[in-house]
Amino acid sequence: VIELNTVHFETLLYDINSLCVCVSPSSCVVCVQGHGVLEMPSGTGKTISLLSLIVAYQRAFPLEVTKLIYCSRTVPEIEKVVEELRKLMEFYSKETGETNNFLALALSSRKNLCIHPEVSSLRFGKEVDGKCHSLTASYIRAQRHSNPNQPVCRFYEEFDAVGRQVPLPAGIYNLDDLKDFGRRKGWCPYYLARYAILHANIVVYSYHYLLDPKIADLVSKELAKKSVVVFDEAHNIDNVCIDSMSVNITRRTLDRCQNNVDTLQNTIQKIKETDAAKLREEYRRLVDGLKEASVARETDIYLSNPVLPDEILQEAVPGTIRTAEHFVGFLRRFLEYLKSRLRVQHVVQESTPQFLKDIFDKVCIDRKPLRFCAERLQSLLRTLEIADIADFSAVTLISNFATLVSTYSQGFTIIIEPFEDRTPTIANPVLHFSCMDPSIAIKPVFQRFQSVVITSGTLSPLDIYPRILDFRPVTMASFTMTLARTCLCPLIVGRGNDQVALSSKFETREDFAVIRNYGNLLLEMSAVVPDGIVAFFTSYVYMENIVASWYEQGILENIQRNKLIFIETQDAAETSMALEKYQEACENGRGAILLSVARGKVSEGIDFVHHFGRAVIMFGVPYVYTQSRILKARLEYLRDQFQIRENDFLTFDAMRHAAQCVGRAIRGKTDYGLMIFADKRYARADKRGKLPRWIQEHITDGSLNLTVDETVQLSKHFLRQMAQPFRQEDQLGLSLLTLEQLQSEEMLKKITQIAHQT
Amino acid sequence: MDDQGCPRCKTTKYRNPSLKLMVNVCGHTLCENCVEMLFVRGSGNCVQCDTPLRKSNFRVQLFEDPTVDKEVEIRKKVLKIYNKRDFDFASLREYNDYLEQVEDIVYNLTNNTDVENTKQRMEQYQRENRDVIQRNKAKLTREQEELEELLLLEQQGNEQRRLEVLQEEQRQLQAKRKNKQALLDELEQSHVPAAILLAKHKVRAAQLETQIEQQKQTVKPASLFSTGIHMNQTVSLQPLPRIEEVLYQYKPLQVETYGPPVPELEQLSRLGYLNHVRAAMPQDTAGGYTSALACHRAIQDAFSGLFPQRG
Repeated sequence: VIELNTVHFETLLYDINSLCVCVSPSSCVVCVQGHGVLEMPSGTGKTISLLSLIVAYQRAFPLEVTKLIYCSRTVPEIEKVVEELRKLMEFYSKETGETNNFLALALSSRKNLCIHPEVSSLRFGKEVDGKCHSLTASYIRAQRHSNPNQPVCRFYEEFDAVGRQVPLPAGIYNLDDLKDFGRRKGWCPYYLARYAILHANIVVYSYHYLLDPKIADLVSKELAKKSVVVFDEAHNIDNVCIDSMSVNITRRTLDRCQNNVDTLQNTIQKIKETDAAKLREEYRRLVDGLKEASVARETDIYLSNPVLPDEILQEAVPGTIRTAEHFVGFLRRFLEYLKSRLRVQHVVQESTPQFLKDIFDKVCIDRKPLRFCAERLQSLLRTLEIADIADFSAVTLISNFATLVSTYSQGFTIIIEPFEDRTPTIANPVLHFSCMDPSIAIKPVFQRFQSVVITSGTLSPLDIYPRILDFRPVTMASFTMTLARTCLCPLIVGRGNDQVALSSKFETREDFAVIRNYGNLLLEMSAVVPDGIVAFFTSYVYMENIVASWYEQGILENIQRNKLIFIETQDAAETSMALEKYQEACENGRGAILLSVARGKVSEGIDFVHHFGRAVIMFGVPYVYTQSRILKARLEYLRDQFQIRENDFLTFDAMRHAAQCVGRAIRGKTDYGLMIFADKRYARADKRGKLPRWIQEHITDGSLNLTVDETVQLSKHFLRQMAQPFRQEDQLGLSLLTLEQLQSEEMLKKITQIAHQT
Repeated sequence: MDDQGCPRCKTTKYRNPSLKLMVNVCGHTLCENCVEMLFVRGSGNCVQCDTPLRKSNFRVQLFEDPTVDKEVEIRKKVLKIYNKRDFDFASLREYNDYLEQVEDIVYNLTNNTDVENTKQRMEQYQRENRDVIQRNKAKLTREQEELEELLLLEQQGNEQRRLEVLQEEQRQLQAKRKNKQALLDELEQSHVPAAILLAKHKVRAAQLETQIEQQKQTVKPASLFSTGIHMNQTVSLQPLPRIEEVLYQYKPLQVETYGPPVPELEQLSRLGYLNHVRAAMPQDTAGGYTSALACHRAIQDAFSGLFPQRG
């Protein structure tokens, strides 16, 4: 394995951790074509080492690995990956002296890639998609032949005319590069990118392009089997899978759907009078059972089918919904049925077979036409040439639901709630069609591609992911950081100064003593920690309660003498404003505290490098709201199918979020920060054992059950130590290696040893 | 939903939450009170479309759109007559055509187009297919069968799980009680120091726990016949389509040996060929061996290829 990893880095200094990844057995994933799970603290070069490893392998064996698909979560993360890749490639060409013909590109939604002056100015992704579709759909373009005034997108026309023949020149393209290239050539960057991913060596895009069956079918269908797929920041991957297969239907959806159905009916009437031949043509096609997808051009996207078994797709559409009127009648019946179900007074939970039986008894709808519902709707919308598909999202949703509910008999549950738990007097009926088995959505990915790597900073405990995603990994590895100095300091605060046990558990939520002690902790920390502090609460409600009570007790006022306070709210715009001001306050030395919520926006995607986060305080254990029926159903399913106990899963879920929160502060080896877990439950072995290894190994027995003043003492000491000047040379030989050091026998031995420990 | 109301007395759901709306075959709504009042004699005409109606045909409106109620009513009636299943047809295409035909009838009846003709068609169909209708009455479609099966499995699963949990609890309780009793007995009778006994007890208790953890049995529900066919599944009575093709005819093999004709197997002994061949031992004959066989082969060998090839 080792000689494969002639890894080139952008600097001549080698990060010891990255090397460990390359040398360790985990690199077999790529070689032996299996799946793997990899945990590695952020800021230690996870991305670059994976990239360089796979690229090196790709260069050595171009026939074995044809493509790297790198999936990340958000657009900034995608951009970051592309930048890393650019550095790597520059280094390659500098080292080898030859220009390589690698093509790597990022792909994102139309909203981020559109260069059409009118369309790109729209605010929401859905609007952009709809508008784009109304300019580029195949029948619109066909109409232009007869009617030159019909507006079309000139970028797409240009791309369609010339762009397909000329391949994208080799290089690294991020979203802006693609846009620039598109502007220069006058080609649509979105379609260019979608076309180019077929022959690109490296593709960087979001999870959804692979996991969401509705999109994956369009974008990722033709990707080669010999690809390596990397899911970065994948600690939430099970939730992404579940979300992509679940449907929530409210009263409003149904009302909008009703409008859609009415529009459909009117359009059918109109077309029947003017152009009956079109409907007849469609009917003839359906009778013959031609698969629609072969007819569909790439621009005709009506959200495509949820994963259907192929044999069903080959079959002809059943006679009950073959003609347009009958299908509209069918939709109407289905809709009315759903409406009548939503009129319940109490919570209903049932399985999909029960639902199907009931729907047959009530409105005589069989399972088979339901299964074809999504397909049939697509065909109808295409025949009716409805340009703006954004309007029809409601009916598409309903038809997707119909197809899903009739296709899967296991792993799903239907929960109808007449009102929210918090407001039992206000009727707000919701039908949750909830997927309980994340493996359903991700299964095609595991089956299709030869190796899939799941990686993140926080994946502990590693063995639970293969179980809930139902795959057999070849390797599982958790790396720790090799540090020149201990730059993270996890402390578990279990008691206040008055020996009151600190905990966010339900019984002590309202306890003034606990709230006061939490306030005290924050107050004392705000006095000793320089620059930014980020505090996480378990939920918005809990945060509101605590902050209100701090205000009454005057704690807030005292804190504000030391630092400014910013609060995350559920409103995205408000939060980003708070975040901006927080960073400004940290920047100019005033120092600030950001109060935010675990599982919120701040806890997931935002990094607090260096002075933006010198301390993270986690108030309480962020358990998910356990009374939710969807969660209960899922826990039950996990217990029955995967033998995972409820408590194990809940703790696992809470700890991965806690780790994710505290991990925000350390984003590299030169960074340092305090991690304060303010709950006595963290000291227990079952909780502590579920933290990532790189945090666990710094928790000493002495820091398990501290009081607030002990914590302050320890932090003072830690911060004073960390504040000493720290240069790159100090790291040399320990966590960074020069080329000579790397080649020395002794060092190689050490690296292999570390790598094989894991 | 609140703006739904009776078209006659103008009461709405909002003003009277307990309002009950009723629909009759024509698909027009009336509230319960109006029905009581207008149809005292048991029959009368619809207020909106003047269709003669019977009071007994009024049903509670399930859906917001009364036409859907009407359609479902009609559909149920039609489906009682048109109850052919997919296995009554030779091909899927025919079945689909049939389904569409049914759909057409329902559509016509609901939208009052061509009602007379459609009704005639239905009656004709009913007359022609009386026996099929009778036969299929009790049968479910294949899909419904699958559904029923799934439901059954689910129920069984739930029941089994419940029982398992119960049993488990009882077993645990019993085992613990037994263990405790054993400890007391030992303490009473044994001469070993109590500390050792207690330690032993602890170990045993731990073992018990792990045992309980491991015990998990799965019993498969018997929904299959031994042939693999699901119970209470109806098998298609449609005869298999006959495949017409030319039958195979056997032609004896003619081998050209290029030698004198080889005597038949049966004649070997008569012609004296076997005189100088080792006779078969009794144990040889067990496998069906006769000396004539070997001899015949040797002669075939010897005789073939003796003449030069002709032509």
